This record gives sequence, structure tokens and C-alpha cells, in this order.
Amino acid sequence: MSDSQKRILDLLAEKKISVDEAQRLLSLTEPGKDTGTQGPEESAGTKGKPRYFRVQVQPEAGSGKESVNVRIPMALIHAGMKLTSLIPGHASDEVNEALREKGIDFDVRNLKPEDFEELVAALTDLEVDVKGGREKVHIYVE
Amino acid sequence: MTCPPWLLRLGIGRRRFPIWLPLFLLWPLAAALAIVLAPLVLLLALILRPLGWGRLVLLSGPLLFRFLCALRGLEVNLNLGSRLLQISFK
Repeated sequence: MSDSQKRILDLLAEKKISVDEAQRLLSLTEPGKDTGTQGPEESAGTKGKPRYFRVQVQPEAGSGKESVNVRIPMALIHAGMKLTSLIPGHASDEVNEALREKGIDFDVRNLKPEDFEELVAALTDLEVDVKGGREKVHIYVE
Repeated sequence: MTCPPWLLRLGIGRRRFPIWLPLFLLWPLAAALAIVLAPLVLLLALILRPLGWGRLVLLSGPLLFRFLCALRGLEVNLNLGSRLLQISFK
């Protein structure tokens, strides 16, 4: 039994939620169950690998019309990663030096496609919501 | 195997309707150009091999093709008040 399921049962025991609500919430926690109300990250998790990386910046109501909506295919990021493996050694040194001058201590030779695969797997559980004064930023994978 | 995007939808400024560019018309020309340039690329790769750039030149074609294929599905919609930018690869 997962922590979320225990929490739901605790809420039911404390009579903070009804039996119907508990049943509905428990059905949502069951893996692979399609309830039609899943979030983007959940649907990505049940459908396999995420295909797109999404960044949305929406204005809060009554605070202008500026908005950003970007959908980047994971394959494009993967193709970019492959390109880094072709960078010759001396070019990598120059890139590292430029990064160091900017205060970023990072070796681009450490970027490997295998690491990217791990990162993509981790991204399926990622969803970032930031609500600022004027905008709402939503970052997720789908 | 995936193929490169067929259409590019481009909207700049305050145009009511975005432009649809038929990218599929370019791919046969690009393929013909790649075939013609292949021997030259091979030669260039051999020349640049001592400098460490040979592998990059040799694999740049396939990687570029892969990159183009991966563009399918890319969408960028920027609405900055007076300025509007829409890019979508289909």
C-alpha cells in the first residue's frame, strides 16, 4: 500500500472525506487505471515514454495578454544530445573554459546519451507550477 | 522510421492567418544535393581528420537528417502583446 493510499484511508478514518470520495481517490492512485482525469505527467507515465517537453506561461486574469506556449519534442532534445558527442576534444575545452568564465563549473564531455535517458525517465514524474504576480508558469512533459 | 516535417506553419506579427510552407517540396531537392555533395564531404572528412574534425564532418549529414526529423511536432507560440510569433512543424 502506498503512502497516498494510507493517507486517503486516514482521512476516511478521521471522517474528513466520505466513503465515495475515498473510493474515487483510491481508484485514482491505482497504477494504469484510466479515469479520464489524469494530469499530463500521469498520462505520460501510463502511456510510456514522454514525447514532448512543454513550457507554458499564461497571464493571470486581468494582467495582460502576453503568453508563451512551447512544445519541444523529446526526439529533438535527443538529437541535440547526439550532436554534443561529435564535439572534438579541444572544442570541448574551449566550451568548458567559456562556461567557467560565466561561473558554471561543468564539463560538457560528461554529457552522455545514457544520462539523458535517465533524465527523460525522471521527467515523467515532473510537473512544475509557478504562480507569480502576473503570470502562471507550467512546465511538464506529456 | 520517422520522416522530416512536411509543413511549417509560420505566423509573425499580427497576421490573421499564418503561412503554411510546404517543406515536403524541399526534401527531394535536399536529397539530390546530399547525393551530389557526398563525395566532397568524404574528401573533406579525410582532409580534416588530423585536426579532429573528420568525424564531425562525416556524421554531420546523418545527424542533421535526424535533427530535421525530430523537428516534427515542435511548436512555439509567443504572444508578447504587440508581437506574435507562431512556429509549428507538422
